[in-house]
Amino acid sequence: MRFIDLLRMSVSNLWRRKLRTFLTVLGVIIGTASIVVMISLGLGLSKSTMEQIEQSGGLTTITVREGGGVSYSSGSVAVAVDSSSSDENSGKITDETAEKIMAIPHVEIASPVLSLYPILKCGAYEGNISVRAMTTEALKAMDIPLAEGASLPLDEENLQFLYGNQIITNFYNAKTNEYYWDTGVLPDIDLTNDPVFFIMDSDAYWNAKYGGTDENGNPVAQPKKYMYESTGLVAGTAEEYNEFSWEAYCNIEALKTQLKRIFKNSKIPNQPTRSNGKPYKEWYYEEMYVKVDEMENVTEVQQQISDMGYYAYSNAEWVEQMEGQYAMVQAVLGGIGAVSLFVAAIGIANTMMMSIYERTKEIGIMKVLGCSLGRIRDLFLMEAGFIGLSGGVVGLILSYGISALINTLLSESYYSSISYIPLWLSGVALVFAVLIGMLAGLMPALRAMRLSALSALRNE
Amino acid sequence: MGADKKPVIQVRNLHKVYSIGKNKVHALNGVSLDIYEGEFCAIVGTSGSGKSTMLNMLAGLEKPTKGQVVINGEHIETMNENQLVKFRRDHVGFIFQSFNLLQTMTAQENVALPLVFRGEDKKVRLKKAGDLLDLVGLPEHKKHKPNEMSGGQQQRVGVARALVVDPEIIFADEPTGNLDSNTSRDIMNMMQKVVREQKKTLVMVTHDNHLASFADRIFHIIDGKIVKIEDNRQGENEE
Ligand SMILES: Nc1ncnc2c1ncn2[C@@H]1O[C@H](COP(=O)(O)OP(=O)(O)OP(=O)(O)O)[C@@H](O)[C@H]1O
Ligand SMILES: [Mg+2]
Repeated sequence: MRFIDLLRMSVSNLWRRKLRTFLTVLGVIIGTASIVVMISLGLGLSKSTMEQIEQSGGLTTITVREGGGVSYSSGSVAVAVDSSSSDENSGKITDETAEKIMAIPHVEIASPVLSLYPILKCGAYEGNISVRAMTTEALKAMDIPLAEGASLPLDEENLQFLYGNQIITNFYNAKTNEYYWDTGVLPDIDLTNDPVFFIMDSDAYWNAKYGGTDENGNPVAQPKKYMYESTGLVAGTAEEYNEFSWEAYCNIEALKTQLKRIFKNSKIPNQPTRSNGKPYKEWYYEEMYVKVDEMENVTEVQQQISDMGYYAYSNAEWVEQMEGQYAMVQAVLGGIGAVSLFVAAIGIANTMMMSIYERTKEIGIMKVLGCSLGRIRDLFLMEAGFIGLSGGVVGLILSYGISALINTLLSESYYSSISYIPLWLSGVALVFAVLIGMLAGLMPALRAMRLSALSALRNE
Repeated sequence: MGADKKPVIQVRNLHKVYSIGKNKVHALNGVSLDIYEGEFCAIVGTSGSGKSTMLNMLAGLEKPTKGQVVINGEHIETMNENQLVKFRRDHVGFIFQSFNLLQTMTAQENVALPLVFRGEDKKVRLKKAGDLLDLVGLPEHKKHKPNEMSGGQQQRVGVARALVVDPEIIFADEPTGNLDSNTSRDIMNMMQKVVREQKKTLVMVTHDNHLASFADRIFHIIDGKIVKIEDNRQGENEE
C-alpha cells in the first residue's frame, strides 16, 4: 500500500465525521495553545531578564577591582599584614596584572581602565564627567552603540573622546548654575562639533576658584585647559539609558601620553602617591575590563582572578541563579498547559476508539482483501496523528495571536516582551501535538490491528 | 481427466472443533479433498453442516484444529497472520453473502480497493476496476455508492472486486444468499462465464442444490464430513 493512499484514506475517514473530528481537534487546539502561551510567558520573562543582564555588561565580561591583598587560602593570615615594599602592590591593578590575567586560559582581552574625572567647558556650560580610558581592543569589544557619524576613539597617538549620550544632562549653565534637571531644557551644546575644553585637574580648578592653597601655602594657579577631538556620541537620545550613556571613552595609550605631558613629574589626578607625596613610576588602575571567550568559562576565570587577590565581578552567578529560577517557572507554567493537552489526548483516544467500533466491519473487509496488519495500524495512527497535527497548527496560530495580544495590551511594561514564542517552541509544540495524538491513537490502532478478520466481518 | 491436472487446493484430514463452555462442536470432522486448476466447485450441505467453516479455513481466515490445507504448494495452516494477509492479497479473491462493500466508496473505488493494498497506482487501478465493472454488466454504475444499488448490482460489484487482483482462486460463501432466484441465476451465469473465460478456480458454498448444479464438481457435506462428490461434467458419481 502506498503512503499517499494511506494518507488519502485517513484524511477521508476524518472528513467523513467532520463534527466529531472538529471537536477532537478543538481539544488539541486548546491544549497546544495553553502550553505554548504558558511557556511563552516564562520565556518572555527570562528573555527580558537576559536583556537586562546584557545591558549591564554582557555575559562574558568580568570586572576586576583592587583587592584587599593576596588571599591566602591556606589560612596563614599573619603574612598578609606585613606591608613590606613588595606587598605594597598586592591587590593593586597595574600593567603587570593585565599581563598575568591575559595569561589565564580563555581570557581574550584584559584591559586596564584608567578613570579620570575632568571638568568640561563648552560655551556657557560646564560639566563634571567621568572618563574611562581603555585599550583599543577593549573599546572594540564592548559593542558600544554609536550615533550616526560617530566612531570609536581608537587613535593611540592623539587623544579623542567618545561621549555618552546622556552626558549632556550633566552640564550646567555656569552663570545660573542651573542643570537640565532644573530647567528641563537641554544645554544648547553639541559635544561632537563644538569646541570642548578639558580641565584635567579638577581639584586644582576648585582650589584656584575658591582661593585654596597648596601644601606650601601658595595660592593654587588656575590649571590649563585643553581641547581634544571628538569622535561623536553614543547612540540614543539624552533620555535613553544604556550601559555607555554616562561616561566618556578614550584610548588609554593616548590618555597616558597626554597626562604625562601635562603633569610631567607631578601628581596625576586619581593616581595614588607614595607616603612622601611623590607619584609612582607605574600606572595604577581602579578597574580592569576582562573579556572571556565563552560564557561557561566565566566562573572559572573569575575564580582564578579572585585567587590572585582581586575582587572580580561578573554576571555569571546572577545568570545561573536566574536560569534556575526561570526553568522552574517554565516547568510550572508548561505543566499547567500540559494538563489541558493531556485532556485533549484522552479526547483523541476516545474518538479513535469510537471510530474503531464503528468501522469494525470495514477493518474486517480490509483484512480479508489483503490489507496488511501494519497498514491498518498505520491508518489509525495516522488519523490520530492528523488530529494532533491540525490541532497543533491551529493551536500554534492561536498562540501567536494570544501572544501578540498580551504584548500589545501590556506594552507599557518595562520589559521588551511579556510573551515570547521562539521558533524552537513552535517546532517542539507541533512535534509534541503530533506525538501526543499518535500516542493517544496507539492503543486503539493496535486494537484495530488485532481484530480478528472473521469476527469483524460478522459484526453488524 | 482430473488425473493429469495439478491440484491447486489439497485438503488432508481437516478438523475443526469449537468449544463452547464444556460442549465441543465438531464443525469439521476429517475432510480431505483436491480441487484442480480452473475448476468450478460447489460445497453443498444443510445449514450448520460446516460449509462456511470449511471455506474460511481454505481462505486462511480461520485456523484448523488439525489437518493440512495446501494451496499452490504452500501450507496455509502454518502461516502467521501477516503471511496469510499477503497470501490472500496475492492469490485469493473473496465474494461474500452480504456483499461487504465499503459504504463510503463508489462501486469503482470498492472494486479498486484490493489494488490499493497491492500498492497499484491510482490511475491503473481505477482503469482496471472500470473494465471489470463493464465485464460484470455495470458500466453505468461506476460512480454509485452501495446504498444506491440493488442487491444484485452490489453482488456484481463484489464479483468484480474478487476478480480485480487476478487471483488464482476465488472463494464465494453463499454469493446469492441475499438475492431472489432470478437475480441469483443471472449472477451464477455471469460468474460461470467469467470463471470459464478467465480460467479461474472457483470454490462456492451454497445450500441450494439447484445453484450448485452450475458447478463442475459438487461436494456434499453433512455434519462436517464429505459424503458425496458429484462430477457434473461427466454426469457420474465418484467416490
Ligand atoms: N465461531 C464459532 N464458535 C462456535 N461454533 C461455531 C462457530 N462457527 C461455527 N460454529 C458451529 O460450527 C458448525 C458449522 O457452522 P458453519 O457456519 O460452518 O455452518 P454452515 O454450513 O455454513 O451453515 P449455514 O448454511 O447456515 O451458513 C455449526 O454447528 C456452528 O454452530
Ligand atoms: Mg455458512
